[in-house]
Amino acid sequence: MKKNNKNTTGKITVGLPNALLYSRYEVLWKTFFATLGAEIVVSGPTTKEILQLGTKVAIDESCLSAKIYLGHILALIGKCDYILVPRISNWGRQRNMCTRFESLYDLSCNTFRYTGQKFLSYNIAVSKKLTEEKAFLDLGMELGFSKKEANDAYKTAKKKEAAAWKNRWKKEEQLYKTDGMKIAVAAHSYLAEDAYFGRPVMDCLKKLGAIPIRVDITDRKEALKQSLKVSPTLKWELNREIAGSLQIHRDKIDGIILLSAFPCGPDSMVNDIITREFRELPVLIIVLDTQNGTAGIETRLESFVDILKFKKGEL
Amino acid sequence: MVRKHVAFPRFSHYNLCIKYFVEQALDAEYIMQPPMTNRTMEIGSHYSPDSVCTPFKTSLGSMVDALEAGADTLVMTLGFCRLGYYGELQEKILRELGYEFDFVNLSEYSTGNPKDYLKALRKIAPKASMAKMTRVGVETLKMLSCLDEIEAEYYKNCGFELHHGDFKQVWNQFLAEMETAENLHEIEAAFKTVKKEFSAIPVNKPEHPLRVGVIGEYYTAVDAFSNLNLEQKLADMGVEVHRWMNVTNRNLHYHGKNLSVEIKDYCKYEMGPTSTANIWCAKYYASHGFDGIIHAKSAGCTPEIDIMPVLQNISSDYKIPTLYLSYDSQTSDTGLDTRLEAFYDMIQMRKKAV
Repeated sequence: MKKNNKNTTGKITVGLPNALLYSRYEVLWKTFFATLGAEIVVSGPTTKEILQLGTKVAIDESCLSAKIYLGHILALIGKCDYILVPRISNWGRQRNMCTRFESLYDLSCNTFRYTGQKFLSYNIAVSKKLTEEKAFLDLGMELGFSKKEANDAYKTAKKKEAAAWKNRWKKEEQLYKTDGMKIAVAAHSYLAEDAYFGRPVMDCLKKLGAIPIRVDITDRKEALKQSLKVSPTLKWELNREIAGSLQIHRDKIDGIILLSAFPCGPDSMVNDIITREFRELPVLIIVLDTQNGTAGIETRLESFVDILKFKKGEL
Repeated sequence: MVRKHVAFPRFSHYNLCIKYFVEQALDAEYIMQPPMTNRTMEIGSHYSPDSVCTPFKTSLGSMVDALEAGADTLVMTLGFCRLGYYGELQEKILRELGYEFDFVNLSEYSTGNPKDYLKALRKIAPKASMAKMTRVGVETLKMLSCLDEIEAEYYKNCGFELHHGDFKQVWNQFLAEMETAENLHEIEAAFKTVKKEFSAIPVNKPEHPLRVGVIGEYYTAVDAFSNLNLEQKLADMGVEVHRWMNVTNRNLHYHGKNLSVEIKDYCKYEMGPTSTANIWCAKYYASHGFDGIIHAKSAGCTPEIDIMPVLQNISSDYKIPTLYLSYDSQTSDTGLDTRLEAFYDMIQMRKKAV
């Protein structure tokens, strides 16, 4: 694509897989592309079919979340000019992403090489001076927009993102002040938000009369600081946000549910640390895998809620 | 000051180098725990989280072996995947079990400023002289590259010896000499000897032997206990075994940028800590007439799982058979033998047909 295309060749369409980092960057991505005048297609919420499609193309040993992600890509193939798959390595020292986010772009390109689908990417590795800002400017220019256009779109998107996020976590924060049985659900945003996996868990807890609180929706900056009290060498950004948020709210909750995808690399160790560091609180670990059927999980949630009620003297 | 008794989890032959450095530069005693056994694996798995990668379990078990052998100071490495977080959790687990020890976790010292690693050394030896550490450091690296070079030569040739066990004997002799070496002169002399003795061993190597390249996750591909003697098993079938991955190549003489240029058709970014090297290696073996590639990793190793789609593409582009091995604490010797025999038969038949 050439510079200053300004829709002379027709609008470009960018596909956004509704999985993994979509929950984190929905506002940023949508605003950025919309400001540049691109069409956006988002894959539908996760369904059984999407999971099955993803499981088929993924390497067996991949985590559930990666399988879901590949399913979403398949759902978008042929429906857009580009599919956005960012490559994010780190935000600086001790602020790494799981290596899967480092490989995701090349992993997707290689997995779907046979389809001829084009992918878009941007690269963040702050340790190598590749910041988010630079990444988005490069992305905009790669699509044929001028540096100024890309910069304006990024700034607009960033502002909107910040406002939306503050609004969101302030609202979640209110939940800690309500009366009732407050259960902190510690899960990566993409799992907690997933229509097929995380949402049913949240809904089930509500049905049981508990107040599930999303730990990942928090003041990220403060959480990063606090996480070092839980684990001084913890180096994964997303896990630090979760551990730090638990630390901030540890006196305000009745129990913790650690909700992980099978087999999540970082969680395989961090869950162990959290159970050791939060001994005063009941902790339930639920690992979700491609075996679906919610009855088993419901039973476990029920008994956990019963235990918490018993502890509070309500049973 | 009390002399410290330092140990590091077992990792291939590299403990010999750490021993040399600790004893010659830091004026501390090095505790060489026995080689890992099934008991090491059992203890390690028992106290580890279920779904953590296998090297966590073996290195935890090996730390217990070291503490039982009299170590009072454990050193753990840093790393760019889960490895970098091993130390903190392992220390917690061991302390909860009741062990008492000093723990030097290099992850705590990886601040981006290399000088901070000096602080880690100072924790073991507050008074060690800088000049001595530098000199011994250089000698240690010399020992390390000698060991890697000889090991590579060993696996390329031991499958073709006329008298069974010749190579092994010389290699073991060399390892024993490295364990007792006290200065650069001894290292260099032993290296010269082993080179000479290797070349004197009678072999019967065909002009075009079967050649297999081993790639994979750093720890599992390199450590013979962890991969159930994968390379020896292959060599014993009469295969010339190549493995690029070792500390010399991956850490001392590594130029990731240059490797990534050669694989840009397959990937745009660095996909993980050893991904660039492994993809480059696979492409190298594939384009240099090798008969097969074996990808060895511990179960659940995220970066290595993620390069598998790339390896599959290389495998189909270059028509080279690739065997994927995933090791966990349950992997059995017999199961591996069966798979290797089948792989061997297949590549041998292919070679005849071509």
